[in-house]
Amino acid sequence: MARALSPRRLWLTTAAAWFVALLIFFPVLWMILTSFKTEPSAVAMPPQFLSADWTLENYAEVWARSDYPRFFWNSVVIAVGSTLLGLVIAIPSAWAMAFVPGRKTKDLLMWMLSTKMMPAVAVMIPLYLIFQRLGLMDTKIGLVLVLMLMNLPIIIWMLYTYFKEIPGEILEASRMDGATLWGEIIHVLTPMALPGIASTMLLNIILAWNEAFWTIVLTTTRAAPLSAFIASFSAPQGLFYAKLSAASAMAILPILILGWFSQKQLVRGLTFGAVK
Amino acid sequence: MASTTEAATGRQGTEARPRARWTRNISAKIAAIPMIATALVVFVGGTIWTVVYSFTDSKLLPRLRWVGFDQYERLWSQNRWLISIENLMFYGVMSLVFTVTMGFILAVLMDQKIRFEDTFRTIMLYPFALSFIVTGLVWQWILNPQFGIQGVVRDMGWTSFSFDPLNNPQTVLYGLLIAGLWQGTGFVMCLMLAGLRGIDEDIWKAARVDGIPTWKTYVMVIIPMMRPVFITTLVIVASGIIRLYDLVVAMTSGGPGGNASQVPAMYVYDYMFQAQNLGQGFAASTMMLLSVLIVLIPWAYLEFGGKKHG
Repeated sequence: MARALSPRRLWLTTAAAWFVALLIFFPVLWMILTSFKTEPSAVAMPPQFLSADWTLENYAEVWARSDYPRFFWNSVVIAVGSTLLGLVIAIPSAWAMAFVPGRKTKDLLMWMLSTKMMPAVAVMIPLYLIFQRLGLMDTKIGLVLVLMLMNLPIIIWMLYTYFKEIPGEILEASRMDGATLWGEIIHVLTPMALPGIASTMLLNIILAWNEAFWTIVLTTTRAAPLSAFIASFSAPQGLFYAKLSAASAMAILPILILGWFSQKQLVRGLTFGAVK
Repeated sequence: MASTTEAATGRQGTEARPRARWTRNISAKIAAIPMIATALVVFVGGTIWTVVYSFTDSKLLPRLRWVGFDQYERLWSQNRWLISIENLMFYGVMSLVFTVTMGFILAVLMDQKIRFEDTFRTIMLYPFALSFIVTGLVWQWILNPQFGIQGVVRDMGWTSFSFDPLNNPQTVLYGLLIAGLWQGTGFVMCLMLAGLRGIDEDIWKAARVDGIPTWKTYVMVIIPMMRPVFITTLVIVASGIIRLYDLVVAMTSGGPGGNASQVPAMYVYDYMFQAQNLGQGFAASTMMLLSVLIVLIPWAYLEFGGKKHG
């Protein structure tokens, strides 16, 4: 955008860009390919592309050996649940900070953000003990709560940036027409900020989906999501690359697909609203 | 006549406004309460609790038997802790420098109308969307001496080729760094690209009219203008580095040689769950908190709090 390029240079840069993209994507691609190979073929030297023994057995075995649907369902509940709960708390707060800023609003926002920089281990034991006492260990509700808390600062920050771009006059006008405060937030602000909210949701679903630290600390079997599922495959069974690849592919595929079909939201979400 | 009406409405306005603002502020405060409450209870409450118990000799369970600074003395005499700190500093500086430079350079190259840009950016962001555990597994394999790069190159005939960073204490951090860069660079690139796109086209025109070379325009004009983007990037990347844990667990479990790639978060985790020495873990996590407080917060506060950027 900065400079107009000759068509030839444009093609060159495009080619270079795609080369970089391929390089970046290669490890993931390789993992997916490997997941369809037999174990000997997966570790064969030189690496096999076309001559490999293709099979679906890895998936069948991973499927049979562990309860994938349960892990998957746990991941969905935890990721979506924590995101929705976070939005319920964050939308009013972000509204307050964006449209009714006080003298302390900036400090408050900064403080919220700084909690995200805290090392999670600092609150690990207190949370662990609270969880034990309340019987929340290894429950989906517990993980929904924790991941909501961990991602709340980011949700609020992102919503705040999006809300700030909505002219306050529109809200004012709706209030003139007799909208109540909640009506204003739910019927005017939320629909207007929907693209931003969608990006925020997507980012948080991804963050919650990938969260490994808390899920490993706070779950054992019943509520364990897919991140714990991969971790369990990498440890005891030794290094079976093809099966490990299949397990990993099964864990990340939902995110890859979700990301592909919502590219705009993904880019905007993952860059924390910086891309408009 | 007209002026009296105006005066009347004006007075009415000034009368009504303080009340309106007061109620609005009330609703705003109510709206913010859930957020403040959760943040206070969990983060502030949990943090204070951790700090308090770091002065006790808690073992398997937390208990309030004071031992003063004993846990800290022990902490700083542990070789493993010192290595952890050193590793984190090295990894942190390297990964900050490299992700930011590489991300910026890529973004500059990208800052043209390339074809299928959305798709391209999505691909660049995929590593960031994958969990650290998957990143770790993939790279552990690529860097595996038998099945990864080294194996492939040796198989092609260069039998003396050696590339085995993860099994050498001297190079293990570089191995982690490669995986970390793979994960983070695309993300930084997208942030930087957004920043570049936000810069007014007129600046480029002006620079061209004045005959300033492109690289100089970038260094002298564009980068200073992109300060907020750089700050955001630094804060996000830095906060990720401090919490570095999953990647190390997935790739090296702290080894080779037991300690070569230890990081502070791992120290805390091990003392709390394996060694069952909570007090020591609390002391270590308090030190981590302290370092965040000292390094990140005042700096981020100045940058974000002082200006219009939220």
